[in-house]
Amino acid sequence: MLDQAFEALKTYDWGADPNLLKPIDDAIVASHGNADLRGQLEARLAPILTTESSRDAKDFVCRKLMAIGTASSVAALAKLLPQAELSHMARYALERLGVIGVPEARQALRDALAGLSPELQVGVIGSLGVCRDEASVPALAGLLSAADAAVARAAALALGDIRTQDAARALATMDAGATAVGSARTDAMLACAETLLAGGNKAEAMTIYKSFTSENQSKHVRLAATRGMLACAGKSE
Amino acid sequence: MARRPKSSRHKSTRREFLKTAGAAIAVPYVITSNALGNADVPPASDRIVMGGIGIGNMGRGDQGAFLGRSDVQYVAVCDVRSGFREAGKTKVDDHYKNKDCASYNDFRELLARPDIDAVHIATPDHWHAIMVIEACRAGKDVYCQKPETRTLREGPLMIEAARRYSRVVSGGSQRVLEDYRALVDQCWGGELGPIKSINVNVGPLSQLCNLPAESVPPDIDWDLWLGPAPWAPYNPARCDGNFGTGGGSWRSYIDYSGGGMTDWGAHHFGGATFAVDVRELQPEEVVYHDENGTRHLTFRYPNGVLLHHNRPNAGNLQVEGTPGEKRPAKPVPSYKGDGGIYGDFIHCVKSREKPFRDIALAVNTVAVSHLGIIAYTLHRSLKWDVATQQFPGDEEANRLLDRARREPWQL
Repeated sequence: MLDQAFEALKTYDWGADPNLLKPIDDAIVASHGNADLRGQLEARLAPILTTESSRDAKDFVCRKLMAIGTASSVAALAKLLPQAELSHMARYALERLGVIGVPEARQALRDALAGLSPELQVGVIGSLGVCRDEASVPALAGLLSAADAAVARAAALALGDIRTQDAARALATMDAGATAVGSARTDAMLACAETLLAGGNKAEAMTIYKSFTSENQSKHVRLAATRGMLACAGKSE
Repeated sequence: MARRPKSSRHKSTRREFLKTAGAAIAVPYVITSNALGNADVPPASDRIVMGGIGIGNMGRGDQGAFLGRSDVQYVAVCDVRSGFREAGKTKVDDHYKNKDCASYNDFRELLARPDIDAVHIATPDHWHAIMVIEACRAGKDVYCQKPETRTLREGPLMIEAARRYSRVVSGGSQRVLEDYRALVDQCWGGELGPIKSINVNVGPLSQLCNLPAESVPPDIDWDLWLGPAPWAPYNPARCDGNFGTGGGSWRSYIDYSGGGMTDWGAHHFGGATFAVDVRELQPEEVVYHDENGTRHLTFRYPNGVLLHHNRPNAGNLQVEGTPGEKRPAKPVPSYKGDGGIYGDFIHCVKSREKPFRDIALAVNTVAVSHLGIIAYTLHRSLKWDVATQQFPGDEEANRLLDRARREPWQL
């Protein structure tokens, strides 16, 4: 049954019966706790990404590698990051691997950044943020001044996910620029301030909050900043 | 000169600022009779300016409810289907007898309007988190249809955004208080004694969609409909908004919905957790049962209450109390203001109170659905750490906390 499913995967495409691939899902469930069995499944799935199989088939493989992939699959997934049709599904697996702490996955996302089109860079930036990858802060800081506003915005939001002191300091130097980017920077800085405050760094949190109290800020931003300052001072409303 | 005590003056200014800062106050330059209001209609400055995002099956109902309120000024609709968008605009224009309602394809344009105070969201589930968070960032209060989240990671981020900007964010299950009221009164009234357990029967789980490709019709922005979900070719059954969960609707498919587990689960788990008073909690364990192919779950709450899912031979919302141990009655939380869950939201937009289905309570409810889906997917029991929002030491389950979003979308 499993062999038949892998055979079906070779010609799988939109419109095919997804139940043809169910034995692969069943095998994944059955391999829980058995690293060898799971490794064998992974070793059969990952190479499909380098074949002429359809986009749909590779989509399926990426979904399965999201569930069972390890460092062994990172190289095959990383090769898809520059491909417009498959970059997202490569991240579908790599992001989750990065989140559970597979260092090769995070490195692959970092390594891919510089060579991607702005459209695909935005995705990888987002995934690095989700991974809370502190090692990518310098690279993301550099992208805050990207000519492409979407890239700059994504970098701001990602630094807001990472929320370290270095992330906050990088955001502080960012030119706010266009509204969508400015809003992202604001939110990211407020997120950093919350985390800094929770970690006991009241001084730096207060500095951030104070920077958002001017009259040219929106009411809801000033409100957030004011409440933050009260929290820094140990007071409530 | 006598000085007022600094602390009381400072406190008053701060409290006043915090109470009023969240409400937009519109003062038109030309004072029209509409703006002045009358005995039945508040002046413009007292009306909540609203827009709607997602004007399909549920969105039309939400729109009608808000549009019918004299304390709401409905000014904009947004939908990626031009037919829904135009119908939504027509409904508003007919109501106000003008042509003033704006219509948008892209929700970001609606959220960018500084005159809009609040939005209602009724898009497919995979969009909810992004839109709620962006709305909060834009300073809007939000009414979001259930199920409010598509993954476990989304919930805390939505709560965070709401709290950061002091936004009123209400989830959207009117059934929790309205459909299950008799059970709620019975449980909260104390006659059943300490509650041991409650059962919910709901399903199924959503499935992978692999429908064949068809030409994209001109009336839908397919790329924007998909949004953060994986790219797939257009097929009408993939994006149909009918309420089925067995195929042929977006509610059936894993990239957009959790299936019946989240769609009706938001109602039934919501009603159940409210009835047995655990809606402020999340389970700390999910026990998976497979009895000769009959699968069901038991969620264990920190206070010992059990929530069963699809327990064999148990009815939906069947409660197990402690006969003979009557307890004092507790007052049942209810909607504020008039007009059901919609009135509750509008009341809270004005008063800045938390609504009946505050986003934190909504997240707790739908978390039950998501935990259940993960247990069924992995065919085993799970432990859940509410504080860290992780499955402790369970890498396999932690992979399923979220899914990577398609560029350019991120939370």
